[in-house]
Amino acid sequence: MKTVIVERGDLREKLDVAERRHGLRAEDVVAGTRGLPARERLAVYTGGYVLRLLECMRADFPVLRGFVGDSVFDAFAKAYVITMPPDSYSLYDLGANFPRFLEETKPKNCELDADMSAMLDLPPELARIERARAEVLRTRGTEDDPPAVEHVSPFAVFGEERMVQVTPCLRLLETKFPLVDFLKSSDLGERPEPPAPRTSFVAIGRSNYRVHMEEISDWQFAFLRACENPTSTYPAVRVAALESGKDPGQVLADVAVWLPVAFELGFLRWAV
Amino acid sequence: MIHDSTVEVRASRPPRRGLPNLGLGVGLRNQHFSYLMNHDPDVEWFEIISENFIDNFGYARRVLEHVVSIRPVVMHGVSLSIGSTDPVNWDYLDKLKALAKFVRPAWISDHLCWTGVAGVNTHDLLPLPFTEESLRHVAGRVRQVQEFLERPLVLENPSSYLEFKESTIAEWTFLSELASETGCGLLLDVNNVYVSAYNHGFDAEHYIRSVPHDAVVQIHLAGPTDCGRFLVDTHDQPVPARVWELYRLAQELTGGVSTLLEWDSNIPDFPELVVELRKAEAALRGENPGAPIRQSDAASAVSNPVDFQLVTSDV
Repeated sequence: MKTVIVERGDLREKLDVAERRHGLRAEDVVAGTRGLPARERLAVYTGGYVLRLLECMRADFPVLRGFVGDSVFDAFAKAYVITMPPDSYSLYDLGANFPRFLEETKPKNCELDADMSAMLDLPPELARIERARAEVLRTRGTEDDPPAVEHVSPFAVFGEERMVQVTPCLRLLETKFPLVDFLKSSDLGERPEPPAPRTSFVAIGRSNYRVHMEEISDWQFAFLRACENPTSTYPAVRVAALESGKDPGQVLADVAVWLPVAFELGFLRWAV
Repeated sequence: MIHDSTVEVRASRPPRRGLPNLGLGVGLRNQHFSYLMNHDPDVEWFEIISENFIDNFGYARRVLEHVVSIRPVVMHGVSLSIGSTDPVNWDYLDKLKALAKFVRPAWISDHLCWTGVAGVNTHDLLPLPFTEESLRHVAGRVRQVQEFLERPLVLENPSSYLEFKESTIAEWTFLSELASETGCGLLLDVNNVYVSAYNHGFDAEHYIRSVPHDAVVQIHLAGPTDCGRFLVDTHDQPVPARVWELYRLAQELTGGVSTLLEWDSNIPDFPELVVELRKAEAALRGENPGAPIRQSDAASAVSNPVDFQLVTSDV
């Protein structure tokens, strides 16, 4: 029955596979009572399987769906669930590999102009950022942290004794397009123009159960990555300056201003 | 040899496995989070889909914490796959137990079904062949799960659209024997009885009269869809008249057990949901508040819908 449900093809093709693989015909296994034949009964399960998972994919990737349109999205989502049947007890895991699937099934070596070729990168990138945002919604955040006894002041950056760390829900992405404004507009029901390709850095965090998604600078990206393990700010500033090619003093000054914001948006917290 | 008849539950077990009658409840659904955080809900208890909250530490967990503080909560799973031939998923059970520590549920339930095999999870509630071999297999797994969870498991009869030719035992007898052998409780979904009875041509009343009534811990109500040649358990409609009749019968036979209205697709606002739930009181007074069954084509009707798991908005 599992073969009939998850195998590729229409019901007849699925049943052919089951017969070849297991030597079983639907009529040998399923009772056809009340004048309802075995194949029609199996179709309730095979049809429901795809529709149920398709609904889930549509809900997980609304911006991508809106961008490529229902029929294209459904075709790729169906191909995905047939190619990679779910193996988790949680439906929230269903879309985890969809960005990779889109990336790997992208047309390759085709003779497209540079603009068109670049646009083929957009769907997997949209899927990647939507998936990251969904993860931030559910994963452990800072809501259970002890209440802060002090506000984060710009001068906190100069305190060697305080250690900072990224929050457990932070997701950092380097994308091939600036997608943050595109997603925010799409969330409002607008139909924004697709962005032109350029490298973009994105931080997605959560504070007080609200998700915050911001495009950040290269030095902010490097700084947050340097804070994946508890650290005082100076070493992280040095890394950020080195990786972004900026003057360390300037980065230090910028971090001083930005640190309270990074705490507010749920990107950073004090290390414990 | 098991006969197609009611199996007596061992007398040593207390009625309803010692579990309370919680009254009338509804499922905790994302669509109602805002309402529930701002109103005292007019229901006696809530049922959660366990998988919605496992590994979920976002706003849903905060709402759950609030709901647990104001009403009893029952954990209802869809991925235990108690009938599968795959090994018991201990990772899943670890997480289920951790969630139970947080929720302190009145009980934990799942379905008499399998959801997948060879590592695949179809996220459907697939039917079992009802044989003595499968009974021994499921009973052994139920015992394992109960021992691990340190509480009786409560199992629901799913709706089904096919029966296996190799089945030798009626579903109600299978459930009765399972309850007798393992001490598990039963979640009697009277809508599923109605749907399966229609689809397979058995007598729904006979089914309800035949299960061990003192093992029944809970009843589910829901509205199906009529696809012409069969009914589909769509959980997206008001409860139809025939299901209310079966509900009344089940409550008479059990002496009164916890009742939950399932509504998982096209979910109405919370007050409207409560109006539908409160029809259970009218049904028990002998009225029949039932609605006609929605007609639809088979292609668009999805059994066991997952809409309620799909809202991914934050506060």
